Amino acid sequence: MLQGWIQIAITITLFVAISPLFGGYMARVFQGQRTLLDPVLNPLEGVIFTLSGVRDRPEMNGWQYTRAVLYSNIAACILVGLILFNQALLPFNPTHLNSSAATWDTILHTLVSFVTNTDQQHYSGESTYTYFSQFAGLGLMFFISCATGIAVAIAFIRGLTGRPLGNFYVDLTQAITRILLPMSLVGGVVMLAAGMPETLAGPVVVPTLENPHISQAIALGPVAHFEIIKELGQNGGGFFGVNSAHPFENPNGFTNLLEIVSMVSISAGLIHTYGAMANNPKQAWYIFNMVLIIYIAFVVVAGINEYNGIPGINQLLGSSQPNLEGKEVRFGWAQSALFLTTTTGTMCGAANSAHDSVMPGSLFIALFNMFLQILWGGEGTGTAYLFAYVILAVFATGLMVGRTPEFLGRKIEQREVVLASLLLLLVHPIVILIPGAITLSFPEVAANVTVPGFYNGIFNPGFHGLSEVIYEYTSAAANNGSGLAGLGNSEPAPSALWWNLSCCVVLAIGRYVPIMALLLLADGMSRKQSVPMTSGTLRTDTKLFAGVAAGVILIVGALTFFPVLALGPVAEAFAVL
Amino acid sequence: MNLPSVLETLQDIWSLQRHRKLPVYLFLAIAFNLILAPLVLAATGNSFSRTQAWAVGLLLITTCALGIYLFFVMFIPEKF
Amino acid sequence: MSNSSPSRPLHVPQGPRESRRHTPKTNFKGIYRRALGQSFVKLDPRITVRNPVMFVVWVGTIVTFLVTVNPNLFGDIQADPTEQRVLNGSITVILFFTLLFANFAEAVAEGRGKAQADSLRATRSDTIAHKVLADGTIEEVNSTQLRRGDQVQVLAGSMIPADGEVIQGIGSVDESAITGESAPVLKQPGTDIASSVTGGTKLLSDELLIRVTSDPGQGFIDRMIALVEGAKRTKTPNEIALTVLLAVLTQVFLIVVATVPAIAQFIANFISTLFSQAAANNLQAGASVAVMISLLVALIPTTIGGLLSAIGIAGMDRVAQFNVIATSGRAVEACGDVNTMILDKTGTITFGNRLADEFIPVTDVSSQTLAQVCWLASVFDDTPEGRSIRALAEKLGGAVDLDLATAEGIEFSARTRMSGTNLANGQEIRKGSVEAIKGFVRSRGGQVPDQIDPAYERVSRLGGTPLAVCRDKDIYGIIYLKDIVKPGLRERFDQLRRMGIRTIMLTGDNRITASVIAQEAGVDDFIAEATPEDKISVIRSEQSQGKLVAMTGDGTNDAPALAQANVGVAMNSGTQAAKEAANMVDLDSDPTKLIDLVAIGKQLLITRGALTTFSIANDVAKYFAIIPTIFAAAGIGALNIMGLKSAESAIIAALIYNALVIPALIPLALRGVQFRPVSANQLLQRNILIYGVGGVVAPFIAIKAIDLILPFS
Repeated sequence: MLQGWIQIAITITLFVAISPLFGGYMARVFQGQRTLLDPVLNPLEGVIFTLSGVRDRPEMNGWQYTRAVLYSNIAACILVGLILFNQALLPFNPTHLNSSAATWDTILHTLVSFVTNTDQQHYSGESTYTYFSQFAGLGLMFFISCATGIAVAIAFIRGLTGRPLGNFYVDLTQAITRILLPMSLVGGVVMLAAGMPETLAGPVVVPTLENPHISQAIALGPVAHFEIIKELGQNGGGFFGVNSAHPFENPNGFTNLLEIVSMVSISAGLIHTYGAMANNPKQAWYIFNMVLIIYIAFVVVAGINEYNGIPGINQLLGSSQPNLEGKEVRFGWAQSALFLTTTTGTMCGAANSAHDSVMPGSLFIALFNMFLQILWGGEGTGTAYLFAYVILAVFATGLMVGRTPEFLGRKIEQREVVLASLLLLLVHPIVILIPGAITLSFPEVAANVTVPGFYNGIFNPGFHGLSEVIYEYTSAAANNGSGLAGLGNSEPAPSALWWNLSCCVVLAIGRYVPIMALLLLADGMSRKQSVPMTSGTLRTDTKLFAGVAAGVILIVGALTFFPVLALGPVAEAFAVL
Repeated sequence: MNLPSVLETLQDIWSLQRHRKLPVYLFLAIAFNLILAPLVLAATGNSFSRTQAWAVGLLLITTCALGIYLFFVMFIPEKF
Repeated sequence: MSNSSPSRPLHVPQGPRESRRHTPKTNFKGIYRRALGQSFVKLDPRITVRNPVMFVVWVGTIVTFLVTVNPNLFGDIQADPTEQRVLNGSITVILFFTLLFANFAEAVAEGRGKAQADSLRATRSDTIAHKVLADGTIEEVNSTQLRRGDQVQVLAGSMIPADGEVIQGIGSVDESAITGESAPVLKQPGTDIASSVTGGTKLLSDELLIRVTSDPGQGFIDRMIALVEGAKRTKTPNEIALTVLLAVLTQVFLIVVATVPAIAQFIANFISTLFSQAAANNLQAGASVAVMISLLVALIPTTIGGLLSAIGIAGMDRVAQFNVIATSGRAVEACGDVNTMILDKTGTITFGNRLADEFIPVTDVSSQTLAQVCWLASVFDDTPEGRSIRALAEKLGGAVDLDLATAEGIEFSARTRMSGTNLANGQEIRKGSVEAIKGFVRSRGGQVPDQIDPAYERVSRLGGTPLAVCRDKDIYGIIYLKDIVKPGLRERFDQLRRMGIRTIMLTGDNRITASVIAQEAGVDDFIAEATPEDKISVIRSEQSQGKLVAMTGDGTNDAPALAQANVGVAMNSGTQAAKEAANMVDLDSDPTKLIDLVAIGKQLLITRGALTTFSIANDVAKYFAIIPTIFAAAGIGALNIMGLKSAESAIIAALIYNALVIPALIPLALRGVQFRPVSANQLLQRNILIYGVGGVVAPFIAIKAIDLILPFS
């Protein structure tokens, strides 16, 4: 047990130590200050900017920035769509996948899912997409989607601190050239060294150990470089169907550590980037610590749940064993619980264990993480959400000091309240609960498989079935991408069409409505006259306020989803007791 | 009844709508329910009576109308 | 520029504020009975629709009424129909009372405002006005027929029919109906301040010719009446932002609750196969329409939704009780946001009347000669300063036998900054600011004596106002006008500083005098030798840093600054122009009241914030009461941490709490949350503890208590 907690502690300590460095570096990049890579990248970026016609870097306002996000993302969809639809004609297809390997709805869902940084996969990579589709098509999406997130976060921070939002194309390019690409290069090599394959050769066919007459095909591929950007960009879309539980995607404890640290680093670092750009590192640390404390609390809850195991089974065994169902023994309960909490908290969505098999208590944490979206949160958007929450907390409690609430000296008025509450409070219920309720009302649409003894519907009935449906839409809405099993959401299941299409809508709304709201919020804030701080102003860089913000975040998050959580994981927890 | 008088009647109804919004909204809701209620009935199989389906349809419309109303409040609060 | 002028009769009421504060006799009798009636009138959907939270409750009440009549309206409920009827009926009744309570809160606030307005209106009952026509004839018309620009004649003993300006005659006016000051005020044409009269006041002596300056219903009393009655109340920016938040929360809970039946149905299907049909029925009954509406009403922020408008009206009412007329709610709210307060020295920080204390010779003149010159310079100056100079001069034997008809008085002007007398023999005698007199003397080819500067500095260091006197090209001496800082101001400025408000004192005095007074009064900054333009430029420069500025003023030349300031308070004794430009008028003409207005503005915001926090925090307990009990069949009964008896009991208890908390908080909404002049952090800490933590804990206790009393098993 102690060993498990020590593993968790080391991992957390590592990224807490790294994130200020990352944050500082990103602040330097986006403020146009000198960085180590300038000599190489300045000429390169010069060429890119000249070719793409943004050399004079025109400033964008909120709408222009939003439009640029949409245009670039749509363009990426079209480009990658062409690759995916025509993958049979393209090279690097050692398994000879034909055009029917991926149906149109699966491809559409894949495109929307990958461009929104979600990487919800209603397919298994090794049997659906060719190597080329994966590394050229989805690989491109990996970079573009998370660079979009970083760009939005930077624009948001600029707006909050009273600067113009900047130019999306410049930010997008620099996020890739100066942050994602260099880190991926280094990380990819480390991953390779740690034992991941990186090959264009087809699967290896070997006789099995048990019966030499039966042979088994072992899927390979260019995994190492795919893996690092999958984690670093919080994409989470696995090369193989079982994601980071696959021995080639996550061979050992070291790669597991590296994957966890790399999925948190940028999101956690962006809080410090805010501190550097707002010139208030103290406030950044208070907010960082607030998030860290909630995150650690959640890790502990998940860890304890997994460590204690399933009461019914423990009773049969006569001893207390951790819950290892659906877990890789090389990771054990601790690293699985930590990975679970981190991947759902950061909107990465990679998985090194079967989320469907975790304890209800851990499932509760996973769902809650995705409802909040700020326990480090999505690439870029998580940090922006965090500050939107702070703005909401300032408004909800700021009136109590007897002034019009203000954040960083800028008044929070009708427009800010509309945008912040829209993106924090309203988007999630609309895109999670409404499609969830429709699916639950017509379970035969969701899966027409008859489970003997139960009724015709979703594979798992009852509390867990409810959790599965809600998890699927929550994962899509929060752009997380992990999923529970038990839903007929992959072709050729007849219900896959419903899941693919409904998730497409949820993914797109869950991604672009908040991005639009964030950018408009930032745009409005940047145009506001800043009021100097006085002792009558509510200070947001105090312990007291960090506590108040934490309270608002937890209460607001819990209030919306209390009934679902009560009838899903909570009821399940009481049922397995 | 000639065409001008029909037009006049229509105009009267239109101008009525300006003044008495509530009855017109109620009328529209009930009219829309003529489409919705059979759908509810079909979706629930035989467990609902005709009246119940009609009532549930109207309840759904009311809920949606409240949602739309609240969106109006959100975006043009100064009118409330 | 009101202060550089030594000739400003500022009308400052004396004595502690509490004893001075005057409310025109307000009749609060029958308010509650009338409010009770109003709460039913306000059930009209056309009125309720303006309050989004309560409108949702209104619709919910109709639906629960329908399921009381027919419990199976929206699907067969597998439960005893009588029991269902009792439950649904109780829910309907409680929801109905929730609506009534919210309406009652608003009606009480409006009623109090109305009572206040009625007492004001009583002063302006229609009177017969003597309108002077263009040809000079007089026509008797009703006062309501008067229009802006009309001229009316007012005779002694009659009411002044409308707000206006005296253009002819001198008379004393009893303004006690409005200001509560019993001493009559002298009104005469020309002078900035004394020329403006208010409709509803009474002329005691003589006869005045008045030009009407406002149309009927447009005077500022009418504006106040409209405001406190809530009739013309437009929402303030913070109120609008809050309305948005409440609408979003309502929308969220509408979606949450609307999707619960589908979820419950899904779980019920499972439970019926796994456990028993009875358990499934139980679960479905828990998700019945009436229960869902109860859950919705319990969750949406009805507490703040029901009290929001009452808080706003009560805030206006508090301002009116302070005898200040605000022309918009926005101005009252802006008071809470003020960062900088610009205060005139004279009348605000010091008592308006500076008194001559000493004549200091600066050349070799006898004290009597000096006294004579001083007396001559002030012979036409009827301000308290002028009178005090004459009094001191007469004591020193400086009275001169002079035929006033032969001499000419030179009025003080802000431009020349001096006043004086031109004698028949051509002598020009002037007194005024030292710089102005030096300039005057030099322009007449005179010398400025060396002793003037030490004398000037001595007076300044004492915090007095030095006035130089000269005859033609010779400066004779310095008059020491003594300034007295009002007691208790220092503490108030300290409070303001803790609240984060910077105070700037404006004065026409020189730097040294200004700094002494500034130090004595404890203001943060001062601007000496200020001209009227300075006032606006100070306001502009503060505003350009994003600060909100409040100021008081009374003179016509204050009007642009009053209009420029975010909060401009005009004195009732001030000119019509000043009153038009300001967004508040203080009927008591007490400039220090600005400080109280800030507290009222802050209190208004705090009350709104506190009740919003309280309302949202309450939801935690309501969830814990309702969800585990209605879905106990799903095995989550252990979440019923309050140990409520049954689903029915829990729903009813939560709804009763939800309804009762509105009337329970009416007094707080009307009175406002107590405001303490401490820093924002201390305020936040205190209020979060009371309304945030308290809001989470209180309903747990209250709902449990109600549950114990309820007769449900």
